[in-house]
Amino acid sequence: MSSVDEPTYGFLRSNALSLTFGGLFLATLAGQALSGTADVNAQQHTNGLEPLGVLDYVTSSSFWVDVMENWQSEYLQFFVYVFATVWLVQKGSSESKEPGKEGTETDREQRVGEHAGPDSPGWAQAGGWRTALLSRSLGLVMGGLFLLTWTASAVTGWVAFNGEQLGQRQDPVTLAGYLGEADFWNRSFQNWQSEMLAVGSMTIFAVYLRQRGSPESKPVGVAHADTGRTG
Amino acid sequence: MRGTAAGLVTAGALALTGCAAASEADAGAVATAFEDPRGDPQDRCDLLAPATRAALEADGAAPCADVLGDVQLPGGDVTAVEVWGGDAQVRLGGDVVFLTETGTGWRVTAAACEPRGELPYDCEVDGP
Repeated sequence: MSSVDEPTYGFLRSNALSLTFGGLFLATLAGQALSGTADVNAQQHTNGLEPLGVLDYVTSSSFWVDVMENWQSEYLQFFVYVFATVWLVQKGSSESKEPGKEGTETDREQRVGEHAGPDSPGWAQAGGWRTALLSRSLGLVMGGLFLLTWTASAVTGWVAFNGEQLGQRQDPVTLAGYLGEADFWNRSFQNWQSEMLAVGSMTIFAVYLRQRGSPESKPVGVAHADTGRTG
Repeated sequence: MRGTAAGLVTAGALALTGCAAASEADAGAVATAFEDPRGDPQDRCDLLAPATRAALEADGAAPCADVLGDVQLPGGDVTAVEVWGGDAQVRLGGDVVFLTETGTGWRVTAAACEPRGELPYDCEVDGP
């Protein structure tokens, strides 16, 4: 359902944000593939080994561990933030809801069950497990994707680590052994800390700074102490 | 439909398993041939990775085939093979051999290797 002042857009303009970021994702992934191939080949050259083609590199564990370790931390960030913002507030931040509204809120506020409107999703009205599941679906999907990509990060990291072990004339390790290696935890923590920094910075910057026209910011003239308004 | 999908997954898994098994067999064969004292020295030298061959010739100050005769290579039957990406480790009855995958097959990067606990193997034949 459109609001009264919502213009009629075609598919591209209606989905411009998703399409732009989808395109940027593919372009930057391609950039990672090309620069990663060049980086690996510089190392291959130093070791007197044959260079790899781009296809060889993008099907290697070295490429996928780098991809997965970044993806898992992004999904962890959103998973933690989605759940944390249910229960925690930051006064004055457009990233937070109003102090006093901590918790899962009432059915009326959430428009579920008998309070669902004609335009509400079917499962918001259905009640039972379907409403319960829809009510947590964003966090659950983010958490599920985190576990999936973190597992993939562990497996690809294990394969890449063992390749490096052999290149350094050392014995390979088991998957359980790799989970106890500093390499795995260093890869995880170095990504996690940057995500926590980014979210924490955004939360507090949104109190005092503005970006006119962005829903990630409060309207420019809104007071610093005003929480939960976006413009 | 479900049967087709399951069939494809099984075929894929078998192809990967077959691929890995073939790769392990190839690496084992190269390691065995390199350490076989009855083999032609020139052919055995051709099984070395270029950088390792260059290092061996530089250390011995002679062509590879001449230097190879002076190196103690215990050899033996293959007891275990580990392939990780483009690298492999082959355990023979009396030695541990490291290999890398090249466009022309597996090539030996290090041989005559002695374990040193947590430290890297100490290999008499080794590249840079």
